[in-house]
Amino acid sequence: MIQFDHVTKSYHRGEHVVTPLENVDLEVARGEFFVLLGPSGSGKTTLLNLVAGIDVVDHGSLRVDGVELQNLGERELGRWRAENVGYVFQQYHLVPVLSAYENVELPLHLFKMSARERHERIALVLEAVGLSDRAEHFPRQLSGGQQQRVAIARALVADPAILVCDEPTGDLDAESADGILALLQRLHTEFGKTILMVTHDERAARIGSRVLRLDKGSLHEASLS
Amino acid sequence: MRFWIKLVRRQLGRHAVRTTLTMLGVAAAMLLFVGVESLATGLDMALRSGESARTLIVYRKNRFCPQTSFLPERYRSDIARIEGVESALPVKVFLNNCRASLDLIAFHGTDVDDYVRDKKVRVVDGDFERFRREEQAALVGRDFAARRGMKVGDRFRFGDVSVDVAGIFEAAEPATEGVILTHLEFLQRAGPVDRLGTVTQFEVRLADARDAERVADVIDARFATAEEPTDTRPKLEFLGTATRDLRELLRFGRAFGIVCVLVVLILVANTVLMSLRERRREFGVFRTLGYGTRELFGLVLAETAVLTAVGAVLGVGLAFVLLRVFPMSLGVEGIAVRFEARPTLLLLAVALAVLTSLCATLPPAFFAARRRAGELLGAV
Repeated sequence: MIQFDHVTKSYHRGEHVVTPLENVDLEVARGEFFVLLGPSGSGKTTLLNLVAGIDVVDHGSLRVDGVELQNLGERELGRWRAENVGYVFQQYHLVPVLSAYENVELPLHLFKMSARERHERIALVLEAVGLSDRAEHFPRQLSGGQQQRVAIARALVADPAILVCDEPTGDLDAESADGILALLQRLHTEFGKTILMVTHDERAARIGSRVLRLDKGSLHEASLS
Repeated sequence: MRFWIKLVRRQLGRHAVRTTLTMLGVAAAMLLFVGVESLATGLDMALRSGESARTLIVYRKNRFCPQTSFLPERYRSDIARIEGVESALPVKVFLNNCRASLDLIAFHGTDVDDYVRDKKVRVVDGDFERFRREEQAALVGRDFAARRGMKVGDRFRFGDVSVDVAGIFEAAEPATEGVILTHLEFLQRAGPVDRLGTVTQFEVRLADARDAERVADVIDARFATAEEPTDTRPKLEFLGTATRDLRELLRFGRAFGIVCVLVVLILVANTVLMSLRERRREFGVFRTLGYGTRELFGLVLAETAVLTAVGAVLGVGLAFVLLRVFPMSLGVEGIAVRFEARPTLLLLAVALAVLTSLCATLPPAFFAARRRAGELLGAV
């Protein structure tokens, strides 16, 4: 369960203070596929970053499965994130000098496990995203859709309870985008992951079990046309 | 660990041209650094000879170059009779150049048996007996032979002096290995200044180093009113005076060496800063995945250390090979100072380069590594 309780988050941009989230209350149930719609700069990514523990709230509280994230130090937060959250970026952000296999392997070096177990996990998630035959390819040798699949595999490999996806189809053509959305839906139904996805694409938002719109710092029910 | 080694290697290969140029820059800087420091080491060794403490050099008063110092050979017996003197070795020196020179040619004409004994000369190639027998034969110091590519049986000619190489020798003092040893009378006759019966200097061995000052005073007093008055000084002081110009030059050279180290610092810091700026988002991803300050900091430092170490090893290795293949020495007032690239100097140079670059990298690496993922990803 993810609980936002009167959460406010501001940033300084030069001399200006930007407040993308103001007094936000939100609950996301375990196993839910939650989608947040909103225009660029509306604060969608800020909300995701708070859930992922990448950023901390200024006011209010954010609890994830009973853990008050604002009370954790940077090191504890890193550890918590590694164990509980998988993050999928819009621009994939794969490490260019590592192969698909090695990119997926990256999060596992934070955990004590045998090489064999590590290999089994990587093989499993690469299989799940349909890229077993591209394991040795480097990001530059993969299409945008394939790179995003690698990024999803990387997010999944440590078996986190929560998957946060920041515009996962934003940089993809329609066909690749459909493939990624289908994959996310399958991960949700087959593996029961809690998924938080932000997008500005209403078509992509339809796969969510609940869709809200973020506008001027507050959340509203979204009506999809 | 294997994964991290692979990651460091690939990150460095990511911008191969930039990495190569930085490594070559470090290599060039360390090559120059080793060049300067090896000369300093050579000078230290020349001045720190074990026998120097109980050796006096008797020179013609008010003369500062071997070409102008002439002392009657007969002073030898007078000096040898002074209490505390173990032996007095007459040496006729004939040089190509009294000033600093990278190609010093120095003939030492002397009483060969005493010279060999006093200077612990050992023939490593050739025939010592032939040298003793033949008037025109010479023993060539190992350094000089290597520098000139000389071998036994060669004839070497400089000016009016022409010698047959009968052997190649090594000696206890590195400076001795830069000279050509001939018979005294041969050099007295063969030199451009035909002064039979004169020598350039006497090397006086004392029984006790503590007598040095007293014996020097006695020698100078003995010849104070002679036709050629003397100036007697402990060998260390003599060497110190003779190499004063070189030491001045080295002081400048060492400043140059420090600049070389600073070049390493600037080069590596620039490369690392560029790399950190380019990889800001990548670091954000590492942070997002759960990596902490320590891991990222370690990654940047490891990349820096490898980058610098490879460059430094290249430069230092090249310096070592060059000095082995083309042995060099700098001659000043007839004293050959060898460029000594000792293993400790080479290790020190690599360690210094790596430490310097790590110091240069510490602040940017630390600040980059401790930034939060949100800042690095720049997301709102």
